[in-house]
Amino acid sequence: MLNIHKYKYSAILAAVLTLAAIIPPDCFAQEIIASPNSNEKIFLARTKQFNEFLDRFNYKTTFTGEPVDSAFMAKIPRINMVSSLFDLKDKRTDPSSKEYVKNYSDLKNRFIGEVVSRNIQVAKYSGNIIAEARSRVIYKGTPHNISIFLAQEVIRETRNKWVILDVKGDVFNFLQTDTAFIRFIPPSSNETDFMNLKRALEDVNYLQYYASKEYQPDNLNLFFFLINTGAMKFEYVNEVIYHITDIPGWSMKVKEYNRNELNSGWLISDLSENSLDRYSYIRSLK
Amino acid sequence: MLKKLFFATALTISLIAPAQTKTAVSSKEAKIVDEINLSDADIEVFKEQTKQKVDEFQQYIITLGSKDQPAEKRDMAEKEAIKLFYKGAQMEISILAADGSTQKVMRPMEKYLARLKSLPYTKVVIKFYDIAYISEFTKGPDGKYYSTATIIQEFTGFNDDNIVYTDVTKKDIEIIIDLVEDKFFNEKRWKIFLGDIKASETKST
Repeated sequence: MLNIHKYKYSAILAAVLTLAAIIPPDCFAQEIIASPNSNEKIFLARTKQFNEFLDRFNYKTTFTGEPVDSAFMAKIPRINMVSSLFDLKDKRTDPSSKEYVKNYSDLKNRFIGEVVSRNIQVAKYSGNIIAEARSRVIYKGTPHNISIFLAQEVIRETRNKWVILDVKGDVFNFLQTDTAFIRFIPPSSNETDFMNLKRALEDVNYLQYYASKEYQPDNLNLFFFLINTGAMKFEYVNEVIYHITDIPGWSMKVKEYNRNELNSGWLISDLSENSLDRYSYIRSLK
Repeated sequence: MLKKLFFATALTISLIAPAQTKTAVSSKEAKIVDEINLSDADIEVFKEQTKQKVDEFQQYIITLGSKDQPAEKRDMAEKEAIKLFYKGAQMEISILAADGSTQKVMRPMEKYLARLKSLPYTKVVIKFYDIAYISEFTKGPDGKYYSTATIIQEFTGFNDDNIVYTDVTKKDIEIIIDLVEDKFFNEKRWKIFLGDIKASETKST
Protein backbone atom coordinates (compact mmCIF):
# COMPACT_ATOMS: atom_id res chain seq x y z
CA MET A 1 0.00 0.00 0.00
CA LEU A 2 2.86 2.29 0.81
CA ASN A 3 4.25 1.67 -2.65
CA ILE A 4 1.07 2.85 -4.32
CA HIS A 5 1.15 6.08 -2.39
CA LYS A 6 4.81 6.44 -3.20
CA TYR A 7 4.18 6.08 -6.98
CA LYS A 8 1.25 8.45 -6.96
CA TYR A 9 3.04 11.04 -4.88
CA SER A 10 6.24 10.76 -6.86
CA ALA A 11 4.38 11.12 -10.15
CA ILE A 12 2.72 14.36 -9.09
CA LEU A 13 5.92 15.53 -7.51
CA ALA A 14 7.78 14.70 -10.71
CA ALA A 15 5.59 17.03 -12.73
CA VAL A 16 5.59 19.83 -10.19
CA LEU A 17 9.30 19.67 -9.48
CA THR A 18 10.19 19.55 -13.14
CA LEU A 19 8.13 22.58 -13.91
CA ALA A 20 9.49 24.50 -10.97
CA ALA A 21 13.09 23.47 -11.49
CA ILE A 22 13.47 23.45 -15.25
CA ILE A 23 11.32 26.28 -16.50
CA PRO A 24 12.62 29.75 -15.79
CA PRO A 25 9.85 32.20 -14.87
CA ASP A 26 10.46 34.38 -17.93
CA CYS A 27 9.80 31.39 -20.18
CA PHE A 28 6.11 32.20 -19.89
CA ALA A 29 6.49 35.77 -21.12
CA GLN A 30 3.89 36.37 -23.79
CA GLU A 31 4.81 37.51 -27.21
CA ILE A 32 1.25 37.56 -28.40
CA ILE A 33 -0.76 38.77 -25.43
CA ALA A 34 0.54 38.77 -21.89
CA SER A 35 -1.35 36.15 -19.94
CA PRO A 36 -0.68 35.75 -16.23
CA ASN A 37 -2.61 32.48 -16.36
CA SER A 38 -0.90 29.60 -14.56
CA ASN A 39 -2.77 27.28 -16.92
CA GLU A 40 0.27 27.57 -19.17
CA LYS A 41 2.24 25.50 -16.70
CA ILE A 42 -0.48 22.89 -16.81
CA PHE A 43 -0.31 22.97 -20.60
CA LEU A 44 3.41 22.20 -20.42
CA ALA A 45 2.94 19.28 -18.05
CA ARG A 46 -0.04 17.95 -20.01
CA THR A 47 0.74 15.12 -22.44
CA LYS A 48 -0.48 17.16 -25.36
CA GLN A 49 -0.25 14.62 -28.18
CA PHE A 50 -0.03 10.85 -28.35
CA ASN A 51 3.34 11.41 -29.98
CA GLU A 52 4.49 13.23 -26.84
CA PHE A 53 3.12 10.39 -24.70
CA LEU A 54 5.44 7.97 -26.53
CA ASP A 55 8.42 10.31 -26.15
CA ARG A 56 7.82 10.61 -22.42
CA PHE A 57 7.12 6.89 -22.00
CA ASN A 58 10.34 6.09 -23.84
CA TYR A 59 12.13 8.64 -21.64
CA LYS A 60 13.27 10.56 -24.71
CA THR A 61 11.93 14.01 -23.87
CA THR A 62 11.37 16.05 -20.73
CA PHE A 63 8.19 17.91 -19.76
CA THR A 64 9.41 20.84 -21.84
CA GLY A 65 10.13 18.71 -24.88
CA GLU A 66 13.91 18.82 -24.48
CA PRO A 67 15.93 15.58 -24.83
CA VAL A 68 16.32 13.75 -21.50
CA ASP A 69 19.84 14.35 -20.18
CA SER A 70 21.74 13.23 -17.08
CA ALA A 71 20.58 16.28 -15.07
CA PHE A 72 16.95 15.45 -15.82
CA MET A 73 17.54 11.76 -15.06
CA ALA A 74 18.90 12.72 -11.64
CA LYS A 75 15.86 14.90 -10.90
CA ILE A 76 13.14 12.74 -12.42
CA PRO A 77 14.01 9.04 -12.67
CA ARG A 78 12.17 7.04 -15.33
CA ILE A 79 10.02 5.33 -12.69
CA ASN A 80 8.49 8.73 -11.86
CA MET A 81 8.07 9.65 -15.51
CA VAL A 82 6.22 6.39 -16.34
CA SER A 83 4.11 6.71 -13.17
CA SER A 84 3.08 10.23 -14.16
CA LEU A 85 1.72 8.85 -17.46
CA PHE A 86 -1.03 6.93 -15.66
CA ASP A 87 -4.41 8.49 -14.91
CA LEU A 88 -3.81 9.33 -11.26
CA LYS A 89 -7.54 9.69 -10.68
CA ASP A 90 -8.06 5.99 -11.39
CA LYS A 91 -9.88 4.79 -8.27
CA ARG A 92 -8.61 1.23 -8.78
CA THR A 93 -5.22 2.45 -7.58
CA ASP A 94 -6.49 4.58 -4.71
CA PRO A 95 -6.49 2.52 -1.48
CA SER A 96 -8.86 5.00 0.17
CA SER A 97 -11.50 4.38 -2.50
CA LYS A 98 -14.22 1.74 -2.42
CA GLU A 99 -13.33 0.92 -6.01
CA TYR A 100 -9.73 0.11 -5.08
CA VAL A 101 -8.51 -3.11 -6.74
CA LYS A 102 -5.37 -4.48 -5.16
CA ASN A 103 -4.66 -6.86 -8.06
CA TYR A 104 -4.78 -3.99 -10.55
CA SER A 105 -2.58 -1.86 -8.35
CA ASP A 106 -0.03 -4.67 -8.09
CA LEU A 107 -0.20 -5.22 -11.85
CA LYS A 108 0.51 -1.54 -12.45
CA ASN A 109 3.50 -1.56 -10.11
CA ARG A 110 4.85 -4.74 -11.72
CA PHE A 111 4.46 -3.16 -15.18
CA ILE A 112 6.26 0.05 -14.18
CA GLY A 113 9.04 -1.97 -12.58
CA GLU A 114 9.45 -4.09 -15.71
CA VAL A 115 9.48 -1.07 -18.04
CA VAL A 116 12.21 0.60 -15.98
CA SER A 117 14.38 -2.44 -15.21
CA ARG A 118 14.31 -3.78 -18.79
CA ASN A 119 14.42 -0.30 -20.34
CA ILE A 120 11.35 -1.10 -22.45
CA GLN A 121 10.64 1.21 -25.38
CA VAL A 122 7.57 1.46 -27.58
CA ALA A 123 8.47 1.83 -31.27
CA LYS A 124 6.85 5.02 -32.57
CA TYR A 125 5.71 3.48 -35.84
CA SER A 126 4.91 0.05 -34.46
CA GLY A 127 2.10 -1.84 -36.17
CA ASN A 128 1.12 -2.99 -32.69
CA ILE A 129 -0.13 0.45 -31.71
CA ILE A 130 -3.82 0.14 -32.45
CA ALA A 131 -5.91 3.32 -32.58
CA GLU A 132 -9.57 2.77 -31.83
CA ALA A 133 -11.59 5.59 -33.39
CA ARG A 134 -14.96 5.50 -31.64
CA SER A 135 -17.18 6.94 -34.30
CA ARG A 136 -20.73 7.86 -35.13
CA VAL A 137 -22.42 6.53 -38.26
CA ILE A 138 -25.94 6.80 -39.59
CA TYR A 139 -27.55 3.54 -40.71
CA LYS A 140 -31.17 3.45 -41.91
CA GLY A 141 -31.63 6.98 -40.56
CA THR A 142 -30.54 6.07 -37.03
CA PRO A 143 -27.22 7.06 -35.41
CA HIS A 144 -25.01 4.19 -34.24
CA ASN A 145 -21.66 4.06 -32.46
CA ILE A 146 -18.96 1.93 -34.02
CA SER A 147 -15.24 1.43 -33.40
CA ILE A 148 -12.81 1.66 -36.30
CA PHE A 149 -9.44 0.10 -35.48
CA LEU A 150 -6.40 1.55 -37.25
CA ALA A 151 -2.67 0.86 -37.23
CA GLN A 152 0.39 2.45 -38.79
CA GLU A 153 1.92 0.96 -41.91
CA VAL A 154 5.42 1.81 -43.06
CA ILE A 155 5.93 2.12 -46.80
CA ARG A 156 9.32 2.02 -48.50
CA GLU A 157 11.07 2.35 -45.12
CA THR A 158 10.58 6.09 -44.70
CA ARG A 159 6.91 6.72 -45.29
CA ASN A 160 4.07 6.12 -43.00
CA LYS A 161 0.29 5.94 -43.04
CA TRP A 162 -2.63 4.71 -40.94
CA VAL A 163 -4.65 1.79 -42.26
CA ILE A 164 -7.98 0.33 -41.16
CA LEU A 165 -7.63 -3.10 -39.53
CA ASP A 166 -11.17 -3.85 -38.47
CA VAL A 167 -14.49 -2.40 -37.36
CA LYS A 168 -16.78 -3.35 -34.50
CA GLY A 169 -20.21 -2.29 -33.35
CA ASP A 170 -23.68 -3.56 -32.53
CA VAL A 171 -24.88 -2.41 -35.94
CA PHE A 172 -22.79 -5.20 -37.52
CA ASN A 173 -24.32 -7.87 -35.30
CA PHE A 174 -27.45 -8.10 -37.43
CA LEU A 175 -27.84 -11.89 -37.16
CA GLN A 176 -29.60 -13.49 -34.24
CA THR A 177 -28.65 -16.60 -32.29
CA ASP A 178 -30.71 -19.70 -31.77
CA THR A 179 -29.92 -22.81 -29.79
CA ALA A 180 -32.23 -25.15 -31.72
CA PHE A 181 -30.47 -27.24 -34.37
CA ILE A 182 -33.20 -26.81 -36.93
CA ARG A 183 -31.35 -24.64 -39.39
CA PHE A 184 -29.31 -26.51 -41.97
CA ILE A 185 -29.21 -27.48 -45.60
CA PRO A 186 -30.16 -31.20 -45.67
CA PRO A 187 -27.60 -33.82 -46.78
CA SER A 188 -29.51 -34.79 -49.92
CA SER A 189 -29.99 -31.22 -51.15
CA ASN A 190 -27.35 -31.60 -53.83
CA GLU A 191 -29.56 -34.10 -55.69
CA THR A 192 -32.33 -31.55 -55.99
CA ASP A 193 -29.91 -28.86 -57.17
CA PHE A 194 -30.03 -27.23 -53.73
CA MET A 195 -33.66 -26.24 -54.00
CA ASN A 196 -33.48 -25.77 -50.22
CA LEU A 197 -31.19 -22.77 -50.65
CA LYS A 198 -34.19 -20.53 -51.29
CA ARG A 199 -35.72 -21.56 -47.99
CA ALA A 200 -32.42 -21.15 -46.19
CA LEU A 201 -31.74 -17.70 -47.58
CA GLU A 202 -35.20 -16.52 -46.68
CA ASP A 203 -34.37 -17.26 -43.05
CA VAL A 204 -32.72 -13.82 -43.02
CA ASN A 205 -32.04 -13.46 -39.29
CA TYR A 206 -30.16 -16.73 -38.86
CA LEU A 207 -28.05 -17.00 -42.01
CA GLN A 208 -24.89 -17.89 -40.11
CA TYR A 209 -26.32 -21.32 -39.27
CA TYR A 210 -26.18 -22.21 -42.96
CA ALA A 211 -22.47 -21.37 -43.13
CA SER A 212 -19.45 -23.54 -42.35
CA LYS A 213 -18.25 -23.97 -38.78
CA GLU A 214 -15.16 -22.01 -39.86
CA TYR A 215 -17.27 -19.02 -40.88
CA GLN A 216 -16.05 -15.75 -39.34
CA PRO A 217 -18.07 -12.64 -40.13
CA ASP A 218 -15.91 -10.01 -41.80
CA ASN A 219 -17.11 -6.70 -40.43
CA LEU A 220 -14.65 -4.66 -42.47
CA ASN A 221 -15.99 -6.03 -45.78
CA LEU A 222 -19.50 -5.37 -44.58
CA PHE A 223 -18.58 -1.83 -43.48
CA PHE A 224 -16.98 -1.03 -46.84
CA PHE A 225 -20.04 -2.43 -48.65
CA LEU A 226 -22.48 -0.40 -46.55
CA ILE A 227 -20.46 2.77 -47.04
CA ASN A 228 -20.00 2.06 -50.75
CA THR A 229 -23.72 1.53 -51.36
CA GLY A 230 -24.64 4.59 -49.31
CA ALA A 231 -26.59 2.48 -46.80
CA MET A 232 -24.29 3.71 -44.04
CA LYS A 233 -22.98 7.27 -43.68
CA PHE A 234 -19.92 8.13 -41.64
CA GLU A 235 -20.45 11.17 -39.41
CA TYR A 236 -17.38 11.80 -37.21
CA VAL A 237 -14.92 10.35 -34.71
CA ASN A 238 -16.11 10.88 -31.15
CA GLU A 239 -13.05 9.71 -29.27
CA VAL A 240 -9.74 7.94 -29.90
CA ILE A 241 -8.29 5.29 -27.60
CA TYR A 242 -4.88 3.76 -28.29
CA HIS A 243 -4.24 0.12 -27.47
CA ILE A 244 -0.49 -0.42 -27.21
CA THR A 245 0.22 -4.13 -27.66
CA ASP A 246 3.85 -3.57 -28.63
CA ILE A 247 5.30 -4.65 -25.26
CA PRO A 248 5.42 -8.47 -25.07
CA GLY A 249 3.06 -9.74 -22.39
CA TRP A 250 1.24 -6.42 -21.94
CA SER A 251 -1.40 -4.20 -23.43
CA MET A 252 -2.17 -0.68 -22.27
CA LYS A 253 -4.96 1.65 -23.21
CA VAL A 254 -4.15 5.33 -23.60
CA LYS A 255 -6.86 7.98 -23.82
CA GLU A 256 -7.09 11.73 -23.57
CA TYR A 257 -8.12 13.28 -20.26
CA ASN A 258 -9.24 16.76 -21.16
CA ARG A 259 -8.98 18.39 -17.74
CA ASN A 260 -7.26 21.44 -16.39
CA GLU A 261 -4.61 19.88 -14.14
CA LEU A 262 -1.04 18.61 -14.30
CA ASN A 263 -2.04 14.96 -14.72
CA SER A 264 -3.94 15.48 -17.99
CA GLY A 265 -3.81 14.84 -21.73
CA TRP A 266 -2.91 11.41 -23.10
CA LEU A 267 -2.62 9.03 -20.15
CA ILE A 268 -2.75 5.30 -19.48
CA SER A 269 -6.35 4.47 -18.59
CA ASP A 270 -6.01 0.70 -18.35
CA LEU A 271 -3.41 -2.01 -18.27
CA SER A 272 -3.71 -5.76 -18.76
CA GLU A 273 -1.62 -8.80 -19.50
CA ASN A 274 -1.83 -9.78 -23.16
CA SER A 275 -0.35 -12.44 -25.40
CA LEU A 276 -2.70 -12.08 -28.38
CA ASP A 277 -1.72 -10.86 -31.85
CA ARG A 278 -3.37 -7.57 -32.89
CA TYR A 279 -6.32 -9.11 -34.80
CA SER A 280 -7.12 -11.57 -32.01
CA TYR A 281 -6.71 -8.73 -29.52
CA ILE A 282 -9.27 -6.59 -31.40
CA ARG A 283 -11.69 -9.54 -31.57
CA SER A 284 -11.27 -10.09 -27.82
CA LEU A 285 -12.34 -6.51 -27.00
CA LYS A 286 -15.83 -6.21 -25.55
CA MET B 1 17.78 47.40 -66.70
CA LEU B 2 15.22 44.57 -66.64
CA LYS B 3 17.97 42.17 -65.59
CA LYS B 4 18.90 44.48 -62.66
CA LEU B 5 15.26 44.66 -61.60
CA PHE B 6 15.00 40.85 -61.73
CA PHE B 7 18.06 40.39 -59.49
CA ALA B 8 16.86 43.07 -57.06
CA THR B 9 13.48 41.31 -56.74
CA ALA B 10 15.12 37.91 -56.37
CA LEU B 11 17.41 39.24 -53.63
CA THR B 12 14.48 40.80 -51.76
CA ILE B 13 12.53 37.50 -51.87
CA SER B 14 15.53 35.54 -50.67
CA LEU B 15 15.94 37.92 -47.74
CA ILE B 16 12.26 37.70 -46.81
CA ALA B 17 12.15 33.90 -46.93
CA PRO B 18 15.60 32.65 -45.95
CA ALA B 19 14.41 29.20 -44.82
CA GLN B 20 12.60 28.51 -48.06
CA THR B 21 15.65 29.47 -50.11
CA LYS B 22 17.82 27.24 -47.97
CA THR B 23 15.64 24.18 -48.39
CA ALA B 24 15.05 24.86 -52.06
CA VAL B 25 18.68 23.97 -52.74
CA SER B 26 17.96 20.30 -52.11
CA SER B 27 14.69 20.30 -53.98
CA LYS B 28 16.08 22.03 -57.10
CA GLU B 29 17.86 18.93 -58.24
CA ALA B 30 14.88 16.65 -57.97
CA LYS B 31 12.25 16.38 -60.64
CA ILE B 32 9.83 13.92 -59.07
CA VAL B 33 8.28 14.34 -55.60
CA ASP B 34 9.08 10.68 -54.81
CA GLU B 35 12.83 11.26 -54.99
CA ILE B 36 12.99 14.16 -52.56
CA ASN B 37 13.79 13.78 -48.91
CA LEU B 38 14.26 16.60 -46.44
CA SER B 39 17.41 16.44 -44.39
CA ASP B 40 17.31 16.57 -40.59
CA ALA B 41 18.66 20.13 -40.79
CA ASP B 42 15.86 21.08 -43.20
CA ILE B 43 13.29 19.54 -40.87
CA GLU B 44 14.66 21.64 -37.98
CA VAL B 45 14.31 24.79 -40.10
CA PHE B 46 10.74 23.81 -40.94
CA LYS B 47 9.96 23.17 -37.28
CA GLU B 48 11.02 26.75 -36.56
CA GLN B 49 8.97 28.00 -39.51
CA THR B 50 5.99 26.02 -38.25
CA LYS B 51 6.17 27.90 -34.95
CA GLN B 52 6.17 31.16 -36.90
CA LYS B 53 3.20 30.08 -39.02
CA VAL B 54 1.24 29.06 -35.93
CA ASP B 55 2.12 32.41 -34.28
CA GLU B 56 0.98 34.18 -37.42
CA PHE B 57 -2.31 32.27 -37.38
CA GLN B 58 -2.84 33.15 -33.71
CA GLN B 59 -2.20 36.83 -34.45
CA TYR B 60 -4.80 36.78 -37.26
CA ILE B 61 -7.33 35.11 -34.95
CA ILE B 62 -6.77 37.82 -32.31
CA THR B 63 -7.20 40.59 -34.90
CA LEU B 64 -10.25 38.90 -36.44
CA GLY B 65 -11.98 38.62 -33.09
CA SER B 66 -11.15 42.14 -31.89
CA LYS B 67 -14.24 44.26 -32.38
CA ASP B 68 -12.23 47.43 -31.68
CA GLN B 69 -9.99 46.91 -34.72
CA PRO B 70 -10.89 48.69 -38.00
CA ALA B 71 -13.00 46.57 -40.38
CA GLU B 72 -10.30 46.77 -43.11
CA LYS B 73 -7.68 45.35 -40.77
CA ARG B 74 -9.96 42.50 -39.73
CA ASP B 75 -10.86 41.74 -43.38
CA MET B 76 -7.16 41.69 -44.23
CA ALA B 77 -6.46 39.34 -41.29
CA GLU B 78 -9.17 36.98 -42.58
CA LYS B 79 -7.67 36.96 -46.09
CA GLU B 80 -4.13 36.44 -44.83
CA ALA B 81 -5.21 33.69 -42.43
CA ILE B 82 -6.82 31.73 -45.29
CA LYS B 83 -3.52 31.87 -47.21
CA LEU B 84 -1.83 29.88 -44.43
CA PHE B 85 -4.08 26.88 -45.03
CA TYR B 86 -4.07 23.97 -47.38
CA LYS B 87 -7.01 24.06 -49.79
CA GLY B 88 -10.02 22.32 -48.27
CA ALA B 89 -8.83 22.59 -44.64
CA GLN B 90 -11.64 22.20 -42.12
CA MET B 91 -12.28 23.12 -38.52
CA GLU B 92 -13.90 20.52 -36.28
CA ILE B 93 -15.51 21.89 -33.13
CA SER B 94 -16.85 19.84 -30.23
CA ILE B 95 -20.10 21.21 -28.85
CA LEU B 96 -21.27 20.14 -25.41
CA ALA B 97 -25.01 19.43 -25.49
CA ALA B 98 -27.31 20.07 -22.52
CA ASP B 99 -27.55 16.32 -21.81
CA GLY B 100 -23.75 16.13 -21.43
CA SER B 101 -23.14 14.45 -24.78
CA THR B 102 -20.68 15.91 -27.28
CA GLN B 103 -21.58 16.81 -30.82
CA LYS B 104 -19.03 17.64 -33.46
CA VAL B 105 -19.45 20.21 -36.15
CA MET B 106 -17.15 20.51 -39.13
CA ARG B 107 -16.82 23.76 -41.04
CA PRO B 108 -14.65 24.83 -43.96
CA MET B 109 -11.87 27.09 -42.61
CA GLU B 110 -13.20 30.06 -44.61
CA LYS B 111 -16.59 29.76 -42.89
CA TYR B 112 -15.04 29.34 -39.46
CA LEU B 113 -12.97 32.51 -39.86
CA ALA B 114 -15.91 34.46 -41.27
CA ARG B 115 -18.06 33.42 -38.27
CA LEU B 116 -15.30 34.41 -35.86
CA LYS B 117 -15.38 37.91 -37.35
CA SER B 118 -19.10 38.33 -36.74
CA LEU B 119 -19.64 36.85 -33.29
CA PRO B 120 -22.61 38.38 -31.40
CA TYR B 121 -20.54 40.05 -28.67
CA THR B 122 -19.70 43.71 -28.18
CA LYS B 123 -16.13 42.79 -27.23
CA VAL B 124 -14.07 39.65 -27.74
CA VAL B 125 -10.75 38.88 -26.04
CA ILE B 126 -8.71 35.96 -27.38
CA LYS B 127 -5.48 34.91 -25.69
CA PHE B 128 -3.02 32.24 -26.72
CA TYR B 129 -0.37 30.65 -24.56
CA ASP B 130 3.17 31.29 -25.64
CA ILE B 131 3.81 27.58 -26.03
CA ALA B 132 3.09 25.44 -29.05
CA TYR B 133 3.89 21.75 -29.03
CA ILE B 134 4.97 20.54 -32.47
CA SER B 135 5.44 16.82 -33.09
CA GLU B 136 8.14 15.31 -35.30
CA PHE B 137 7.50 15.46 -39.04
CA THR B 138 6.67 12.12 -40.69
CA LYS B 139 6.72 11.52 -44.41
CA GLY B 140 3.45 10.36 -45.95
CA PRO B 141 2.95 8.04 -48.96
CA ASP B 142 2.44 11.16 -51.14
CA GLY B 143 5.92 12.52 -50.35
CA LYS B 144 4.63 15.34 -48.16
CA TYR B 145 5.70 15.73 -44.55
CA TYR B 146 3.12 15.77 -41.78
CA SER B 147 3.13 16.97 -38.20
CA THR B 148 0.70 18.35 -35.60
CA ALA B 149 0.94 21.56 -33.59
CA THR B 150 -1.03 21.89 -30.36
CA ILE B 151 -1.97 25.28 -28.94
CA ILE B 152 -4.32 26.57 -26.24
CA GLN B 153 -6.74 29.44 -26.74
CA GLU B 154 -8.63 31.36 -24.08
CA PHE B 155 -11.77 33.00 -25.41
CA THR B 156 -13.93 35.60 -23.61
CA GLY B 157 -17.01 37.20 -25.13
CA PHE B 158 -18.41 40.37 -23.51
CA ASN B 159 -21.70 42.22 -23.90
CA ASP B 160 -20.87 45.69 -22.67
CA ASP B 161 -18.69 44.97 -19.63
CA ASN B 162 -20.25 41.64 -18.75
CA ILE B 163 -18.60 38.33 -19.61
CA VAL B 164 -21.30 36.33 -21.38
CA TYR B 165 -19.17 33.49 -22.67
CA THR B 166 -15.74 32.10 -21.83
CA ASP B 167 -13.87 28.93 -22.72
CA VAL B 168 -10.41 27.40 -22.93
CA THR B 169 -9.89 25.39 -26.11
CA LYS B 170 -7.12 23.08 -27.17
CA LYS B 171 -6.45 23.26 -30.87
CA ASP B 172 -4.61 20.48 -32.69
CA ILE B 173 -3.47 21.82 -36.06
CA GLU B 174 -2.34 19.54 -38.86
CA ILE B 175 0.90 20.81 -40.44
CA ILE B 176 1.86 19.86 -43.99
CA ILE B 177 5.14 20.52 -45.80
CA ASP B 178 4.46 20.28 -49.50
CA LEU B 179 6.54 20.80 -52.60
CA VAL B 180 4.93 23.61 -54.58
CA GLU B 181 5.70 25.15 -57.94
CA ASP B 182 7.35 28.55 -57.69
CA LYS B 183 6.41 30.10 -61.02
CA PHE B 184 8.74 33.07 -60.57
CA PHE B 185 11.87 30.94 -60.22
CA ASN B 186 10.42 28.08 -62.29
CA GLU B 187 11.29 25.51 -59.65
CA LYS B 188 9.72 23.56 -56.85
CA ARG B 189 10.03 24.70 -53.24
CA TRP B 190 8.98 23.16 -49.96
CA LYS B 191 6.29 25.19 -48.27
CA ILE B 192 4.48 24.90 -44.94
CA PHE B 193 0.71 24.85 -44.82
CA LEU B 194 -1.72 24.55 -41.96
CA GLY B 195 -4.33 21.84 -42.45
CA ASP B 196 -7.39 20.59 -40.55
CA ILE B 197 -7.88 21.82 -36.99
CA LYS B 198 -9.52 19.88 -34.17
CA ALA B 199 -10.77 22.15 -31.42
CA SER B 200 -11.78 20.69 -28.09
CA GLU B 201 -12.82 22.50 -24.95
CA THR B 202 -10.71 21.89 -21.86
CA LYS B 203 -12.89 20.99 -18.92
CA SER B 204 -12.01 22.72 -15.67
CA THR B 205 -11.94 20.71 -12.49
